Amino acid sequence: MPDRKNSIAQLFLREVKLVAGNHSLFLTLLLAPLFYVFFYGTIYSYKVEEKVVLAVADDDRSEMSRMFVEQMNNMQVVAVMRASSLEDAQERMYRGEAQGYFYIPKGMQSKVLSLQQADVVLAVNGARFLPSSELTGAITQLGLTIGAGVRLQYQEKMGLNSTMALQEAMPVNIDYRPLYNPQASYGGFLLPVLLVLILQQTLLLGLSGSIALERENHEIGRLVKMGGGLSGMLYGKAAFYLLLYLAYAAFFMTVNYQVLHLPFRGSYRDLAVLLFLFILTLIPMAVWIGTLFKSQLLAAQLMAFSTYPFFLICGYAWPFESMPLALQGLSSLLPLTPFVKVYTSIVQTGGTLRDHAGSVVHLLLLWVFYLLLALWGLKRLNKKQQPLSL
Amino acid sequence: MIRSILKVALREWKRILTFPVYYLAMLVLPPVLCLLYAGIYNKHFAEDLPVAIWDEANSPLSRQFTFMLEQTESIHITQQVQSEGELQAMLRNGKVMGAIHFPRRMDEQIKSRQPVYITIYTNVSYLVPAKLLYKDAAQVLLTAAAGVQLQKLMKTGMPAGKAMALVMPVQLQSFTLYNPRYDYQQYLVPGVIAVAMQMMMIMVVALALNYEHKTHSLGELYEVCNGSASNAVIGKSLAYLSVAWVDYIMITLVIYPLFAAGAQLFSWGLFTIFTLLMLACISVGMMVSAIFKDLLLACDVGIFYTSPAFVFSGFTFPRWGMPWYDQYYAMIMPLTPFVDAFFKVYFMDLPLRYVRLEMAHMLLFAVIGLPVAMLLFQRTLQQSTLQHA
Repeated sequence: MPDRKNSIAQLFLREVKLVAGNHSLFLTLLLAPLFYVFFYGTIYSYKVEEKVVLAVADDDRSEMSRMFVEQMNNMQVVAVMRASSLEDAQERMYRGEAQGYFYIPKGMQSKVLSLQQADVVLAVNGARFLPSSELTGAITQLGLTIGAGVRLQYQEKMGLNSTMALQEAMPVNIDYRPLYNPQASYGGFLLPVLLVLILQQTLLLGLSGSIALERENHEIGRLVKMGGGLSGMLYGKAAFYLLLYLAYAAFFMTVNYQVLHLPFRGSYRDLAVLLFLFILTLIPMAVWIGTLFKSQLLAAQLMAFSTYPFFLICGYAWPFESMPLALQGLSSLLPLTPFVKVYTSIVQTGGTLRDHAGSVVHLLLLWVFYLLLALWGLKRLNKKQQPLSL
Repeated sequence: MIRSILKVALREWKRILTFPVYYLAMLVLPPVLCLLYAGIYNKHFAEDLPVAIWDEANSPLSRQFTFMLEQTESIHITQQVQSEGELQAMLRNGKVMGAIHFPRRMDEQIKSRQPVYITIYTNVSYLVPAKLLYKDAAQVLLTAAAGVQLQKLMKTGMPAGKAMALVMPVQLQSFTLYNPRYDYQQYLVPGVIAVAMQMMMIMVVALALNYEHKTHSLGELYEVCNGSASNAVIGKSLAYLSVAWVDYIMITLVIYPLFAAGAQLFSWGLFTIFTLLMLACISVGMMVSAIFKDLLLACDVGIFYTSPAFVFSGFTFPRWGMPWYDQYYAMIMPLTPFVDAFFKVYFMDLPLRYVRLEMAHMLLFAVIGLPVAMLLFQRTLQQSTLQHA
C-alpha cells in the first residue's frame, strides 16, 4: 500500500512538471480557465440588452401619437429612432440601424376619440431573437396599458368613480412571475453554465492533450510501470487534475459568482458534492478521449470543436425532450447533461441533490462507464507500446 | 508566376488529403457538425413543454382557459397541483417548466367588477422554454380577457363595433419578420455552422506554413514556388479557399436541405460573404502560421482567438448589450462583420449593397494578414535556402 501511494505521488509530481514544461498544457490548464472566466464573464455583465433601437414613423402627429411614442421611449427596453416616413423606417431596419419599426397611420387619435378601433403597426427583425422578442413584449404591454387608459376615461365619463372605473378597465389581469431569473436576462441564464463549460472544456482539452502527448512520446508503458498498473497510472495522473479543478471550481463558485452578481440559492455542500462527482467523471472521459489521438496537436485541434456541440446537446439551451431520440442517447452519455440539470436546480432554484436523485445516479453510472473506457484505452495503448520480444 | 501559384495550390490539395490535421478538420468535421446541429433542432420549435395547472377556481371559465392553453404549440398540461408549494417543488425539480394559477371565485369576481389576477409562473433558468411558454400563455389569456370584456360591454347594450373599439382601442398589428415562428433550426443552425467553419479555417491554416518544417518539405516548397513567399501564400490560400467552397456546396446543397425539409441555404449573396469570411480567416491563419513556427503554439493561438468569436459576434446576445471594450474586441474577429452581413443577406434577403461596410471589414483582414504572412515567410524561405546551401 505505501508503495502504491508513493507511485501515485510520483506520477502526480511528474504531471506537475509535464504541465509546467509544456506550453500548450500550461496555457490550457493554468492560464485559460482564469483568463476565460473573467473575459467571457464581462460580455454578459450587463445581463440584459437595454434600449433596443426601434425606428418610429408617426404620420398622425397628434397629441395621442406623441404620447404613445414618448411612453415607448421611456421604456427600459426601447430606444426610439425618429423616421420621416414608413419607407425611411424600413430602410433604417435594412441598414441595421434599428431592430424593427413602428408605424402610426394618420387618423389614429381621431378614431380612438370617436370610439373606433385604430391600427398601428409593429414590425420587428425576427432574425435577431432576443431584441425582437423583447421589443414585441414591451410594445404589446404598452398597447394594453394605453387601451386600459382609454377604457378608464370612458368609464369615468359614464359616471363611475375612479376605483370602479379602474376595476372595469382591467377585469382580467396577468400576473407574470419569472422565477429564478426575475429579469429573464440572457446573462442570468447563460453565465452560471458558462462557468461550468469553461471548467469542462479546459479539462477535456488539457487532459486529453496530456494523454495524447504521452502516447506520442511512447511513455504509456513506462507510466503504467511507475503506477504499478493501469489503475495506479490513472489515479496518479487523475489526482493532479482532480485537485486543480476542484480548486478552480471553488474559485468560480465563490469569487466569480460574487463578481458577476449571480444569485446562489442552494446549499454549498450539495454543490460541492455535485462538482466533485462531475470532475471525477470528466477525468476518465478525458483520458479515454486522449487515447484516441496519435498526437497532442491533433487532440488539441479536434477537441476545440467540441465546446458548442456539447453545450447544444446537453439539454440546457434546447429542451432535451425536443431532440431526436438518437441525440438524446448521445446527450445522455455526456456528464454535462445530468450535471447541468442538478446544478441549475441547486444554484438557481434552491433545489437539493435529493430532488434529483435520478440525475445523480446517472452521473455515477457515467463515472463507472468512463473509468472502464479509460482503463481499456490505456490497456490498448500499453499493449501497443510494449517492446516486441522474440 | 501563375503556373507556380497553381502548382503550390495543387501541392497543398495533396497535403490536405494526406495529413489528418488537415483533412479531419477540413473535410470530415464540417459535414459531421452540420449533421449534428441540424439534428438537434430537427423539431424546429420547442413543443409540448410540461406545464402545471393550479385551478382554485374550478369553474367553467377556468376549464375553458385551460383548454385554450392546451391548444397552443408550446404548452402541454401534464400536472394538476393543489398549492403553491407543490407547484414550486415541481418547478424546482424540473417536472414542469411553467405553471398557471386561476384564483378562487374567479368567475364571480369577474361578474362582480372585481379585478382578477391570473398568474403565469415560468422557470427562467431555462430561458428558451420560459420565453415560449410566456408568449403562448399570455396570448391566450389576453385574448380570453378581451373576450370577457367584450361580453361585459355588449351586455350593457353597446354595439359590437363600439365594444370592440373600447376593448382594444389601439389594435397592434405585430409582425415578426424573417423568422416569424422563431424556428430554431432556421435561426441557429446556419449560424453555428459558420462559427465552426471560421474556427476550422483559422486553426488549420495556422498550420499551413509552419507544418512544412515538421514534414521537412520546405525545400520542396521553395522549388515549387520559385523561392517566392507570395506565390506560396497565394497558392496555399487558393487551395484552402477551394476546400471551403467544397464544404459550402456539400453543406448548403446536400446536408442542410436534407434535414431542413428541403429548405434552401444556398444563395449567391451568401456565397459571396462566405467567401469573404473564409478569405479573412485564411489571412489570419496565414499570419499566425508565419509568426509561430511552433505548431502547438500556433494551434493554441488559433483556439484562443476563435473560440470566443461566436459569443462576441452578437449572434445570440447583441453587441450593444456588451461593455464597450468587448464591442471593440469583437471587431478584431472576422466572424463579427460576417454575422452582421449574414443577418441581412440570409435572413432579410437584402442585396449586397446593404453589406458593403461588412464586406470591406472582412477584406481588411486579407489586406493586412496576407502581406504580413508573405513578408515573414519570405524570411523563413531565405533562411532555409541558406541553411541548405
